[in-house]
Amino acid sequence: MSFAKQLASFTIVLILTQGCVVTRGTIGEPIQEDVLSRIKKGATTMTEVVSLIGAPDRIVRGNDREIFHYYYYDAKSPALLLLLLNFIRMDIKSDNLYVFFNRDGIAEEVVYGKRTGRTQFRLWPFGD
Amino acid sequence: MVINVAVRFLSIRLVVGALCFLLLCAGCSIRRVVFNDVVTLEQINFIRIGQTTILELADHIGAPDEVAESEFGVVALYNWSDTKSAALDFGALARLVLPYAPTMTLNRTGITPEQFQVVFDPQWTVRAYGFSRRTTDEPVVWFWPF
Repeated sequence: MSFAKQLASFTIVLILTQGCVVTRGTIGEPIQEDVLSRIKKGATTMTEVVSLIGAPDRIVRGNDREIFHYYYYDAKSPALLLLLLNFIRMDIKSDNLYVFFNRDGIAEEVVYGKRTGRTQFRLWPFGD
Repeated sequence: MVINVAVRFLSIRLVVGALCFLLLCAGCSIRRVVFNDVVTLEQINFIRIGQTTILELADHIGAPDEVAESEFGVVALYNWSDTKSAALDFGALARLVLPYAPTMTLNRTGITPEQFQVVFDPQWTVRAYGFSRRTTDEPVVWFWPF
């Protein structure tokens, strides 16, 4: 491809994408799903959970037991900032992992929910 | 010759139409922030008080965003929100012809945080549940602030 054609293609791409803003934001680290299978109910201790996944983001006390809460947030935001018209949309979803411990500090239950896989770069602000 | 006139008339109409559309959109700014998925009544139909466990709940609607202790027991909270904001800047048109862009903006933002709460007994089965509040669906473009 000649230099003139390359320059023309580059200019067209620049013109077509001018005013486009693509932003991505995350909070925390993605939860490693393969590690979850290594948490054995009735066997894995609190210390082992910490060494597997790391320190929890929050520790909650419920029903006289400790609950470790790990979370991860993912936000995707495309925007179109034109001279006269602006569209901005942001889609935020979260993953949450709870490890419930019994009074002896042994994992009793693991509850995990992943939503960030469905986070999308959606520009059109109308509709669901 | 007749065809040429018709084509020319069509393209003039197209240009005028596009200009009118741009004038209507001038200074429009539409923003939307969606946080998490909505929990609907249909999704929670399966819940049976005294029977459904926290694991079954997580299988159906995912893990809660928050777990907190209350005097009635442990509460699982599912949060979501749909924030809509629209603005109309009447000074935007002046940017096309003036070096200075005056600002005269009407803006309206609606933040609708919603919550689904589930209270558990000590055996982690559902004791009670409910929505914090259900808001009506606001339009995306609604910039009149008064």
